[in-house]
Amino acid sequence: MYKSMIHYLRFSALFATLLWTHHGFALDVSGKVQAGIYSAESPNTWLDKGTGVTRFDTSGIHVQQAIIQINQSVTPSTDIQADASYYPDGDQHLGFTQFQIRYKPLISGNVKWRARAGFFYPAMSLENVDKGWLSPYTYTQSAINSWLGEELRVAGAEFTLYRPGRAARSPWSWELHAAAYKGNDPLGTVLTWRGFALHDRQSLHHERLEFAAYPSVTDSNGIWHPSWVEPFSELDAKWGIYIGAHLDYQRQAKLRYYYYDNLANPNAVNHQRLYAWRTRFHSLAFQHNISSSTRIIAQWMLGDTLMGERFVYTDFQAFYAMISHKAGQHRFSARGDVFDVREDDIFPNDQNNSHGSALTANWRYNLSEHWQLGAEYSLVSSRADNRVQLNEAIRATQQQMLLVLEYNW
Amino acid sequence: MYLFNRLNNCSRSVCLLFLLLITAARAHGATLSVSVFNHEGSPLSNMVVSARPLSGVAGSSSLRAEMDQINRQFVPHFLVVQKGTYVQFPNSDSIKHHVFSFSPAKRFQLLLDKNAEQPPLLFDQAGIVELGCNVHDWMLGYIYVVDTPYFTGTNTKGNADIALPVGDFEVSVWHPRMQEAKEVLLQRVTLSQNTRLVFTLKRPLLPDYAGYESDDEFGDYE
Repeated sequence: MYKSMIHYLRFSALFATLLWTHHGFALDVSGKVQAGIYSAESPNTWLDKGTGVTRFDTSGIHVQQAIIQINQSVTPSTDIQADASYYPDGDQHLGFTQFQIRYKPLISGNVKWRARAGFFYPAMSLENVDKGWLSPYTYTQSAINSWLGEELRVAGAEFTLYRPGRAARSPWSWELHAAAYKGNDPLGTVLTWRGFALHDRQSLHHERLEFAAYPSVTDSNGIWHPSWVEPFSELDAKWGIYIGAHLDYQRQAKLRYYYYDNLANPNAVNHQRLYAWRTRFHSLAFQHNISSSTRIIAQWMLGDTLMGERFVYTDFQAFYAMISHKAGQHRFSARGDVFDVREDDIFPNDQNNSHGSALTANWRYNLSEHWQLGAEYSLVSSRADNRVQLNEAIRATQQQMLLVLEYNW
Repeated sequence: MYLFNRLNNCSRSVCLLFLLLITAARAHGATLSVSVFNHEGSPLSNMVVSARPLSGVAGSSSLRAEMDQINRQFVPHFLVVQKGTYVQFPNSDSIKHHVFSFSPAKRFQLLLDKNAEQPPLLFDQAGIVELGCNVHDWMLGYIYVVDTPYFTGTNTKGNADIALPVGDFEVSVWHPRMQEAKEVLLQRVTLSQNTRLVFTLKRPLLPDYAGYESDDEFGDYE
């Protein structure tokens, strides 16, 4: 913990130095605060070591989150951007979710390149397009992107080759992405033991992500793993990779394919008894703006994860489809999710099968340029075989209602 | 004053009369009517028609124009200015833009932070300046710099009228989606009375890809 604080302070100091030593360009600070009322059902949330798959499990008033985004141009073609969040729940309350330096040189040809380095998300989601990687559609994000938000982040560099279509007099634009990164070795831990969940609680840099203390996991005669994970840890000194391809038809339709492989050594284990999980998956996302006011967005993910000598091996798959319609200052969004984790490993007493589906309906209303009011209802049905270890029913149906007031600037 | 000094044989009154005659001739010049049709003979609207006096044009240092950035688009999509115009690039969005051009008529880059104003740029070379934004790859705009104060656009019937003094002109037609062999279509005309010119494009206009103009509302957060 002490070591991570030192690292954190060191990074903050470096970032502040970079920001304040350059005076040529404006510093752009923007952010958002969401607060409101929640009403939800058990089982308890994983954030409190429960087996529930919604962020909330009781009723109350809360700050949903506060985010701040700082952007500084260093040269006209180079900028530094940092995103920090505050959450009242979880292990750590304040920290960075992303920080990156981006270089996009001016190039006269039709095919161009750009690069970025830092701690960031691959751009595989078409849902998380608001400031701070939030969704402008629903508060509770899809199972796929909730998982990416909590377990996936890369510390590395990405290179992009792209051809903007309009300047080339074509309706088609494309991008090719390739990245190499460190960290993110335990990716798949929470997905396997807790299963997919639906929420907007992104993990912070150096945060510990909690989950229920399943005896088969924590027992020193079993897998002997803590009931938490630090998802962005580097455990095996190996690089991971991802590649991605975007294809856009004007600004009306978007298709994004990514293949992610952290190339982890599944036998690597550290002094905390955290394992590297070899996790790889395909992600395919699609958006079609049917009209200027209505759009559909969908994403499909298929992958697997391996830990130890097949101590844990699961295939996972998830899909969502969403429709969103804007009428004046009102936006209505509805999304359906299905998700599945299926095991095929040597420890049958460590049950990893989980499955579920969810419906989310959201209304958001812009009261003014800076204020927004919204309400959301989620119904999540999940089955997780390992709940039996904690004497809980395997199946759970959770409803969650949110009333959220947002201020953004 | 310059004119008076040169014509030192003239009395002031004679010179004044001479000037009045020139002005009258200009006021009673001719109307140039231009019609523009596509390759199938249909009228084309919003085509830029300009008439450049072959005798040359006096420069001006007080010309101003504006190319705005609104909802992550250039507004207007294309702007026609006389050579020697200072063009301001305001930023009406709440995000930064990075406007650039690699066109020979004006190469530049301009970082437009939100709420920050950059000084205007002088466009002192005739030609077509294609604009892009290095932050928003779909943004495309044009500044068409013409060496004349006489320019206008065709109406929905493909017609444009320009009041001109008598004299020799090079009349040109331009549109950003034109595919002609040369960047502009040219005709020379000697104007002594009302004259009508017809331009017919040999090739169709490029598709307008209006889908690039639709505002996605949300950015592409990365």
